[in-house]
Amino acid sequence: MSFLMFLNTDLLVATVRLSTPITLAALGATVCERAGVVNIAMEGIMIIGAFFAAVTAFYTGNPWLGLASGVLAGGIYSLIHAAAAISLHLDHVVSGAVLNILAFGITRYLMVLFFGHPGTSDAIPSFLGDYQFAVPLLSKIPVLGPVFFNQTPIIYISFILVIFLAWFLKHTRTGLHIRAAGEHPLALETIGVSVYKIKYLAVFISGLASGLAGAYLSIENNVSFTEGMTNGKGFIALAAMISGGWSAAGSFLSALFFGFADALQIRFQVFRIFHVPEELFIIFPYAATIIAVAGFVRRSRPPKADGVDFIIEKENE
Amino acid sequence: MKKGIRLAVLIIAAAMMLSVASCKKEEKKAEEKKLLASMATDVGGLGDKSFNDGANQGLELVKEKLGADVKVVESKQQTDYVPNLIGLAEDGSDIVFAVGFLMEQAVKEAAKNNPDTKFAGIDIWAGDGDPSNFMGILYKEHESGYLAGVVAGMMTKEYASASPKFNDKNVVGVVLGMFIPPVEKFEVGFIQGVKSVNPDCKVLSVTTGSFVDQAKGKEAALAMIEQGADIVFQVAGLTGLGVIQACKEKGVAAIGVDVDQSAVAPDTVLTSAVKQIPRTVYLAVEAVKNNTFTGGTKVYGIEDDATGISPFHEFESVVPQAVKDKVAQVTADMKAGKIKIETTRAALGM
Amino acid sequence: MTGNKTGTKVRSEREHMKKALDLISVLLLAAGAVYYLGGSFSGLAALSSGAALYLFNIYYFQGKEKTLSAVKKYLSRLIVPLIGIAAAVVSGAVIMLLTGYDPIESYTALFYGGFVKNWYVAVLNATPLIFTGLSIAFAFKAGLFNIGAEGQYYIGAMAGAWLGFKLELPPLIAIILVYAAGSFLASLWNFIPALLKVKTGAHEVITTMMFAHIARYLSPIFIRAFGGDPATSTHPYVTWELPESSWLLSFKSFIPDANYRLHTGILIAVAAAFFVSYVLENTKTGFEIKAVGFNKEAARVQGISVGKNIFIAMMFAGALAGMAGITQVLGLDHKLFENLQAGYGWNGISVALLASNNPVGVIFTSLLWGALDAGGQYMARTTHTPNSIVEIIKGIMLFLIVAKYIYIYAARLIKKKKGGGSV
Repeated sequence: MSFLMFLNTDLLVATVRLSTPITLAALGATVCERAGVVNIAMEGIMIIGAFFAAVTAFYTGNPWLGLASGVLAGGIYSLIHAAAAISLHLDHVVSGAVLNILAFGITRYLMVLFFGHPGTSDAIPSFLGDYQFAVPLLSKIPVLGPVFFNQTPIIYISFILVIFLAWFLKHTRTGLHIRAAGEHPLALETIGVSVYKIKYLAVFISGLASGLAGAYLSIENNVSFTEGMTNGKGFIALAAMISGGWSAAGSFLSALFFGFADALQIRFQVFRIFHVPEELFIIFPYAATIIAVAGFVRRSRPPKADGVDFIIEKENE
Repeated sequence: MKKGIRLAVLIIAAAMMLSVASCKKEEKKAEEKKLLASMATDVGGLGDKSFNDGANQGLELVKEKLGADVKVVESKQQTDYVPNLIGLAEDGSDIVFAVGFLMEQAVKEAAKNNPDTKFAGIDIWAGDGDPSNFMGILYKEHESGYLAGVVAGMMTKEYASASPKFNDKNVVGVVLGMFIPPVEKFEVGFIQGVKSVNPDCKVLSVTTGSFVDQAKGKEAALAMIEQGADIVFQVAGLTGLGVIQACKEKGVAAIGVDVDQSAVAPDTVLTSAVKQIPRTVYLAVEAVKNNTFTGGTKVYGIEDDATGISPFHEFESVVPQAVKDKVAQVTADMKAGKIKIETTRAALGM
Repeated sequence: MTGNKTGTKVRSEREHMKKALDLISVLLLAAGAVYYLGGSFSGLAALSSGAALYLFNIYYFQGKEKTLSAVKKYLSRLIVPLIGIAAAVVSGAVIMLLTGYDPIESYTALFYGGFVKNWYVAVLNATPLIFTGLSIAFAFKAGLFNIGAEGQYYIGAMAGAWLGFKLELPPLIAIILVYAAGSFLASLWNFIPALLKVKTGAHEVITTMMFAHIARYLSPIFIRAFGGDPATSTHPYVTWELPESSWLLSFKSFIPDANYRLHTGILIAVAAAFFVSYVLENTKTGFEIKAVGFNKEAARVQGISVGKNIFIAMMFAGALAGMAGITQVLGLDHKLFENLQAGYGWNGISVALLASNNPVGVIFTSLLWGALDAGGQYMARTTHTPNSIVEIIKGIMLFLIVAKYIYIYAARLIKKKKGGGSV
């Protein structure tokens, strides 16, 4: 086997697979933080999404229904964050931390109720990985074809979402309102737009996206739910969103970078290039992220009113 | 002023009496009861598809066959081990199982402090200085790994034509959860088994660093399959479910671990390198019942039917008789002590 | 003239008296705390009599009103947490009822197990949590989110074990040196994140988290380098035992009834909490750090160096989280385990937030968390209720205690109703 044999298309395909959950959660977080609501709860929302996607797919036998319920469960669960951070003026980080704690308790508790045992759910009968399809013509393009145009449904959705959200935040009315809510909420309120409503919407969107990320893990990439299967990916998404400069495209690129480093790390082990303890390989993507952040990421700025409590005392109430 | 001081003293005295009164000693209940066998899991908890689940199955067996009561408690953090084990002893257990090598110190402490209760530790070693009411139970995981390796080594080359799942690249792989001793023994045994029948075979190995990350397990397996691996052995707990899924999608074979994992994907799981924890748990409880329990380390291996590989199930017709004969012969040799298997990577020079 | 003189004399006598009684009450409180944390419930008596004496002192020397206002002050601080705890307990009961478990039986086991039977486990659980909670709370004061406390915990544990092996010194000196050098090494683990934060503005959430993952995977390498003697064990997953000279004193050495595992690390943790509180409230550094955390621009205008204070805060936070690891190794385990799920860094976030980043508050929230965990184990063992319900109750509790606005809304609603009735 030649030394550099692993630098091939498969590596890039693996990169996309590994980065998809991170991309989706980071996209959600981007929308949320653009509206001025800090979100560290992606890990918890993902695990909720993964759980409900698997449960629904298991009981109905239909992975698409699983997908819908995973996404919806993520959205609904994130509304707790919205209510806490926006209406109850709770510190955003606190509320996010609560959601993370709750999610693990809830899924473990429900796991026993639904499946009679903790750990891992029973395998779902049919999963979204079966719906892999190649886009005619485009998938024939060398390298890019198999990477971007021969994938499974949620991966396609994630590509579409990146483009859509980048456009949405910049060029639509609602997108502008979301960004204004994170920069100058008072100005937005004075032109008659409810900042609360916009923030609720943004948090809900982020919940949907994180729920989708969870569904990807349990019913597209795999066929069962495992407690703790997110394994820190929600936090990596947080890092990707920040190092992506609070933008959709930036989040996507950062997530891809991490996925690439992880895919590379696995191949280093397969080829056993260096004779060092395996843990050093596992560390590689984390170290690479630090180096990239230190070397390439310019000082990026969060939205001005990110995490800032917004209180409107309405008179005559 | 004196009045004030007197009052203060009075208050203190009253408070002290109150709190002393509230500190009642607990009374142990001494009811007549059935045999009670119990276990405490390590932080992995039930549902790990590995030793915790295995021990739990053992208790189910005990319940069914010996009619004993059983009790299971899951530990959440390391500080829980000792109170859980001692608590189970105080609940009147006749034998308490500590599951997983992380509990070594805890179970020895508990045994020392509860000399009337028997303790047993799965994957835990008992030395000369350890209390006599403690039995350490170890397994020769390398034997199971070795046998799985023999099957893999033969199927990937000599009999690759038996099924379209196999190719002519002569590569197999191992996916590890975290690099800890039981995992290492499985892997090292597997490598020796493969090499014993197929010295040129390439054995790839990836450590994922987690026992719960299915996505990572899947990627590790896929990376190996890209390089031509047609049989992937998973020693990764729940991460391994991703490995089996990858093999299923790519149409290659997987080898399960700890328990017979054929049910996970009958068309993919060739066999499993098993560790008969349930059986050994049962034997320990039976020893307590018959008053034949002794301390020290019990190392279970192929001669006790505690290690080995599971039936081929759907692959029964695929695996040729020659392979089955070879497995039988190696098993016999192992039982006769004719095969020396290393248990560490260091010994293999890796 | 003479009357005045006697007046002064009486006053000074009263002053002395007051001071003496104050001192006694503080001593009683301290001794009570030590005994209570040592697992001896006689400590509760000393604690309550200390508190009673304190109140009596106010009553005797300052009158009834002051006493009432003091009582009110403390009660008003407790009221929201108590309501939150009560509401979480009730919600937990509803969940249990809905899913077919007996709440009364479960709660009896939970509280008896956590606060009485296995109180020492609660203290053991709380010890590292106090340190990591302090670390996170302190960073929050500077406007930083030390999400990677878990990593500094691992570094502290490794440094503690390593120094424990290497330093062959008399007991007390060895311990002091291990703490000093170990926490220094753990703070160094935050050096790069701090430097990057100041120089390039790289967000500490990214850098400390990545460093946490790195530290976590370095620990098995460390353990293999310092352990796994096949002569004593077949499992090289744990380091050798540390020499006894570097073990922390156990409570059993002066409280015969104490559980033998209970070590005095908790006292170091409590002392650290008071120290952090002192630094934040009474020193220039503390003031500057809080100023930076409150508003960077305003701090800069005041001539406070933002970079310097961020740096100090990060390093100090690293040292505090490192002490959690050191304490765990020197006090509880006396060796380093391949700790598959330590989680103290993550749980530290909860206890810090629950205490609204108040260092002394962190002691109580950590003990509460520790007791709930210990009680949850006891509950799972003695009843059929799964202990994941404890996680749910913890989440609800955190939510209800920190969301003060709930109470403001509730108060408004009550007012409105009352107002509506009168019209």
